Amino acid sequence: MITLTPERVSPTTNERVSALRVRILRDPSFGILALLVVVCGVMAFTEPTFATAGNLTNIINAMMTVSFLAIGMTVVLIAGGLDLSVGSVMALSAGVVASCLNNGMPLAVAFVAALGVGAGIGLVNGLLITKLGIPDFIATLAMLGLAGGFLLYWTAGVPILGYMTDAYYYIGGLRQIAGPVTVPMLLVLAVGVAVSILLRRTTYGVKFYAVGSSPTGAKNAGIRVDRIKIAAYVISGLMAAIAGIHIAGRTTTVPPLIGNGYEISAIAAAVIGGASLFGGKGRVIGALVGALTLTLTRNIINLTGVESSWQAVVTGLVLILAVLANQAWSGIARSIGASRS
Amino acid sequence: MKNFRSGAARFLGIEGVPILLAFTAVAIGFALAVPSFADGDSVKYYLNEEVPIFIITAGLALVIIAGGIDLSVGAVLGLSAGTSLWASMHGFNPLVSVLVGVGTGLVFGLINGLVIVKFRLSDFIVTLGTLNVAAGLLVVLTDHVQLVGTRDETFLGLASSSVGGLTSAMVLTVLVIVALHLVLVKTGIGRRIRASGMGSAPALVAGLDVGRLKIYAYLVSGGLAGFGGVLLAARLNSVQAGMAGGYELIAVAAAVLGGVSLAGGRGGIWQAALGALLLVTLKQGFRLMGVDPLIFSIITGVCILVGVIVDRGARRFALTLRTPQPVQAPAGELQPATSKGR
Repeated sequence: MITLTPERVSPTTNERVSALRVRILRDPSFGILALLVVVCGVMAFTEPTFATAGNLTNIINAMMTVSFLAIGMTVVLIAGGLDLSVGSVMALSAGVVASCLNNGMPLAVAFVAALGVGAGIGLVNGLLITKLGIPDFIATLAMLGLAGGFLLYWTAGVPILGYMTDAYYYIGGLRQIAGPVTVPMLLVLAVGVAVSILLRRTTYGVKFYAVGSSPTGAKNAGIRVDRIKIAAYVISGLMAAIAGIHIAGRTTTVPPLIGNGYEISAIAAAVIGGASLFGGKGRVIGALVGALTLTLTRNIINLTGVESSWQAVVTGLVLILAVLANQAWSGIARSIGASRS
Repeated sequence: MKNFRSGAARFLGIEGVPILLAFTAVAIGFALAVPSFADGDSVKYYLNEEVPIFIITAGLALVIIAGGIDLSVGAVLGLSAGTSLWASMHGFNPLVSVLVGVGTGLVFGLINGLVIVKFRLSDFIVTLGTLNVAAGLLVVLTDHVQLVGTRDETFLGLASSSVGGLTSAMVLTVLVIVALHLVLVKTGIGRRIRASGMGSAPALVAGLDVGRLKIYAYLVSGGLAGFGGVLLAARLNSVQAGMAGGYELIAVAAAVLGGVSLAGGRGGIWQAALGALLLVTLKQGFRLMGVDPLIFSIITGVCILVGVIVDRGARRFALTLRTPQPVQAPAGELQPATSKGR
């Protein structure tokens, strides 16, 4: 990790440009961001409804759920894992919150219960993967079936209704606190900054990168690889629980299949943001850029009058293209880096 | 005593024996608990219903043996059911309708294989993407309502004609499983596919075109998912969006229960089919006992975990059998390769 030292006396323009080039090459989310700006520019001119304040707020509000999941997924990917269970865990946490509220428990208790469920499932995922040596995607695929199946069995397939309270409308982002600002926006910001600081500014966070880029090296350096990996899955479970708390407020009902397909969006967002499936790479800001990309794609599909039934197709294609671009990007960056030094 | 123990261990070590024992135990247990379970007609009925599971499990097993994974099988099955029924409803003759369905599967298999091999992308991410694409295309095709009602008797007869007391769908499924088993065990290409799944480095040294063999496996898996879809469409004569969603989970569980190792190279088609038999029998048994069928997804999840843990235990056990004088090996040595990079 190279940080530009502020002491450097006024770098020449050439130096600045090449430093920027290196940073952009290291971080694919810069490229995606540039692409987004171009796409938004085109949309602003061709679709009059696109650049309205209303639509832009819509986009921001719609990207919140995936943002939470993508932040958690990024942490897991950095540590060299993968979590397919996030959608199911989110749905189960939403169900836990809703039924706690229906049973007359206070909001705080319901939230703690949901967070407990998320962290607990994350812990189980981590233990299955590190202690029993089950491949990441199989353990979390099984957990996807388990958590989703449990919610389905528990609710007998019937949506949970009637738990909304005044305060919950704010948490779901259906009511604004000031201007267009909603609670989920502040929450994403807070969570994002917290995880970002953890990952980039603490020794503990650096261990996640170390474990992901080289488990053996990390082990030899005295890092307790298993613990870091378990921690990553617990963080992902917590993020899924927060997403569940949020989505229960946003949709005002919890149908048992509410989380279906969210794992794909979360992985796509994280990978678009520069996280690598091979571990050791990824940033919180990238995850947010990825979530924005996915949400923008959906919004554009809607505005341009393409039938909404194409959404799932597009999300699938975006996932594959994102992985492809990610791979190509690191290939290019590597070859340029090699020729430079 | 020691002889007996190692004999029993050898017996259990024979491929397919554990799953066969597990299935027998479960079947006897249900037969004792619920008398109606062993009724011939009801057995035939539920097996006929689960034909698609057996077919995609066979295809998926081949992909896993070849060292890959195919999560798109369920969604592709649903989409192929849709395209073939659509063709039949629009007056195409039965043969064309079948080809449309199987062709849909083959196209997805080809895309999966090519993208994974040529761009060296992670197999489960690519197939997770195509899962979404196929499921989404089915939504588009059914236009949010269901496709219902071809009047083509030949097309419908494909699944429900009676052949020697069984339905044609069941007979075709058995044929598929036997054929795929023979290809894997008796032919050169089958042996090469298994060898390539055992590990890329030795296979490359042996001069195998690992990539091409993997593409073949994905083609077979896609084609079979397409064929399973045709049979499903012919049996139900209706297709709706979301059909066969989650089947990939059941197929993975079945393959893993049957002893197909996710590490690649080990396991067989009929063992995987037995895994599917165990799963659908559990489903049927619980249904007859009055347990909410919604619990099935939990059972499937548990089965995947149990299957993988047992497979790992069995591999370790086999290692201890092979070395009668255990040397003091460092603790980390028996660790299989991690899942990193998959």
